[in-house]
Amino acid sequence: MNKLALLVALPLITAFLLPLINRASAFAGRWTGPLILVVTSALGISLWTQLGDNAVAVELGGFRPPLGITLYADQMAILFAVAVSLGTLLLWPNGGEDRVRQWTLALILAASGSGLALSGDLFNIYVFYELVAVVSYGLIAARASAGSYAATLRYLVVSSFGAAMALTGIALVYQATGTLNLAQLAQLAPTQLNNLQGLAAFVLMLIGFGVKAELFPVNTWVPEVYATAPTRVSGLLAGVVSKLALLIIVRLLVLVFHQPEALTVMLVLGIMGVITGELAAWRARDFKRMIAFSSIGQLGIMFIAFAIPGKAGIFAGLAVALHHLVVKPALFLLAERWNGSLSSLAGAGRTSPLAAALFILLALSLIGVPPLPGFWAKLLVLVELSEQAQPLYYLGAFVILAGAALEANYLFRVASRFYDKDKDQKAPAAQRMPDLATASLLCAVLAGSIFVLTPLAAQIEGIATQAADATHYIQTVNPETLP
Amino acid sequence: MDTNLIFHIAAFGLILIGSAGIVLSTHLVRIIFGIALLEAGANLLLLLATYREGSSAPVIVDGHIPVIMADPVPQALVLTAIVIGVGILALALSLALRVQRAYGTLDLREVRQRLEQDIADEAGIELPSSIDAPQAVVKRQEGHA
Amino acid sequence: MRRISSALFLLGLGLLIAMIFQTMEFGSVAPLVGQAINATAAEQVGAANFVTSVVLGYRGFDTLLELTILFTAATAGGLVLGKPRAGAARDPDSGFILRAGADLFFPLLLVVGLYIILHGHLTPGGGFQGGVILAAAFFIPILARPGTSMDHRLVSIIEGLAGAGFILIGLLAMLGGGDFLTPLLDKGELGALLSAGSLPLLYIAVGLKVGSELAGLLAHLSETEASD
Repeated sequence: MNKLALLVALPLITAFLLPLINRASAFAGRWTGPLILVVTSALGISLWTQLGDNAVAVELGGFRPPLGITLYADQMAILFAVAVSLGTLLLWPNGGEDRVRQWTLALILAASGSGLALSGDLFNIYVFYELVAVVSYGLIAARASAGSYAATLRYLVVSSFGAAMALTGIALVYQATGTLNLAQLAQLAPTQLNNLQGLAAFVLMLIGFGVKAELFPVNTWVPEVYATAPTRVSGLLAGVVSKLALLIIVRLLVLVFHQPEALTVMLVLGIMGVITGELAAWRARDFKRMIAFSSIGQLGIMFIAFAIPGKAGIFAGLAVALHHLVVKPALFLLAERWNGSLSSLAGAGRTSPLAAALFILLALSLIGVPPLPGFWAKLLVLVELSEQAQPLYYLGAFVILAGAALEANYLFRVASRFYDKDKDQKAPAAQRMPDLATASLLCAVLAGSIFVLTPLAAQIEGIATQAADATHYIQTVNPETLP
Repeated sequence: MDTNLIFHIAAFGLILIGSAGIVLSTHLVRIIFGIALLEAGANLLLLLATYREGSSAPVIVDGHIPVIMADPVPQALVLTAIVIGVGILALALSLALRVQRAYGTLDLREVRQRLEQDIADEAGIELPSSIDAPQAVVKRQEGHA
Repeated sequence: MRRISSALFLLGLGLLIAMIFQTMEFGSVAPLVGQAINATAAEQVGAANFVTSVVLGYRGFDTLLELTILFTAATAGGLVLGKPRAGAARDPDSGFILRAGADLFFPLLLVVGLYIILHGHLTPGGGFQGGVILAAAFFIPILARPGTSMDHRLVSIIEGLAGAGFILIGLLAMLGGGDFLTPLLDKGELGALLSAGSLPLLYIAVGLKVGSELAGLLAHLSETEASD
């Protein structure tokens, strides 16, 4: 099982050598990256099947935890590691200047995303998080337009502020417990972190890691970045990276921070995210920013879901997260050609009928129309919310329903525009083949999951149960007790 | 006063000053300085986590082992954090250089206004006038109209 | 509007910090992991400098990522700054004192930097610190004579190979069925130059990578023409 480290090491060493490989042969430089990602994804899938129902911990460097760093692989971690590799492969950068540097950055993104999902040490998670941040700065700025530089700089400022807050939180945790290993923190948390210092540390880390997860109020960067970045990069960031950031926060909640106030903070911020995101999307007048704001809203729903205590919350949140993982990149791929204002989309239904149909399918799933998986995910969240005792959860349920109504409005406004006949405006150009193909693939996955819904749901429930079990985590990693 | 207390006041003070710099400044380079201060404060706090007065460096020199050794872990952590900070600062300055070349200004309000303008132009929509728009840019728009 | 929300935000942050300050018990340290490492590092890793044993041994994975962040920042910086224009205006050369001083410093800085890198496992220092000094050694002559340009091909070759070297040493440990980044080779005698197994090799890779990367990034920044 120590092949787990290869999920990080393999893309990384390829990234280091890619400029040299490209100098030697341009053909090799072009195809090495995707090839290595295929190998990494295959490795991840084979590890998944090997794993079965058990979790496994890998001690890096042969040092026993908590002295050394451990990688923890349960089904949720490997699932997201594979999702990152596959996502980077599907949304491989294909435009802009200086392709070699972009490919290098994409490989590092795959490596750091996998590491972020697998790591079992608090500071290691922080370093992986910063690595993902720096890679995303580079990829966003690859568009080389003045707007992308300004948007990247603003994103950098917010993200660095968040990272410093997270580091402060880590300092507080280390001060209270003397360890950084997540399993040992889980053991020590009930006695040493169940106080005001622990709550403050959680809030700081929530702000820090929440920047990438588009948490309110540190999501001011979202519309500018998604509007000016290359669309594939936007798809990757909104689709995959935001889920990884959310995953870390969930792990921290399950293992280390058991205070109910922590869940309340998440719930409040999630509600605010849904309200602001959906309202802004309703008022948006260009396509890219509309789906950017919509993703803030969807991530708000995930925050509300994960604020439900116990395995039920993780199950519901995971369902919404996996659904969004497939839908959002597809929407951004369609935005490649439709990046104008909403009113300029008239007639798109005739120039690219397949793309229009895909958009309608994705919109229906986002809003939550049966029998699409989006309906089932939202239903799960609403059912779990209604079973809670606190009235704040009912507010969350109401906000999600109101958000769905708004989504229906603005998404169908766009869809109806597709079939308008507007004499003044030219219809937008047809979608390009690679974008359309990838988007169709994602939609096929979405539609196909309707037929395997029951076993899929059972599988996700199993993943959630395993992830919610802190005792299992501690037993698997088995940190040494120190004097 | 207790040295531990002084160090903690310094660390939190740096964090506050850095945050104030980021949130309140209007010049991009000052904001980047604020980030540097903030990171310095966070690093100091991390080092202070297991600070013990009178401890010496955890190095064995000439076979002589110090009695109270400092904690080596925060030193390694802060080393990593400083290097991360350097990388991000270098990247931030490169971006600021390009923004200055493209927009001709490093004033945050003007940059935001120009950014919104660029996004709106690309999408082909009109820019709604906002109360945050700096006066100079608003006058230019009125001049065109 | 913005001023009000900024002031409110700072107020909230200040309150949070005040709250932390009150409840934090400083002075009551619980250096759980730190004490354990201090006790066992000498025999487990064999480096006289325990911080090195943490940086390259216990937390070697973090160091690899740190290297990667520098690499990514340099790559992203190169992407953002673009190629320098051939006929671009450059600052004039500095005066005689600066030029002579820079030429004098170059070999001295090289020696100091290499010394710190090679003795990283014995005395405070190591690959990062020495690497930065090496980068300064190569960059100060460029500061003194802004017209000279650095050979970026050499820089990228060194940084690529050094980084790959680090990961390769880590992967070699996996060949025998061990875990990634397990220290290899004989630990030797504590305090001798040739001790701590593969750790000095890792630090050499780190030093070369950091030195070439920083020098390249700084040179790139200085080659970007300033707008008037």
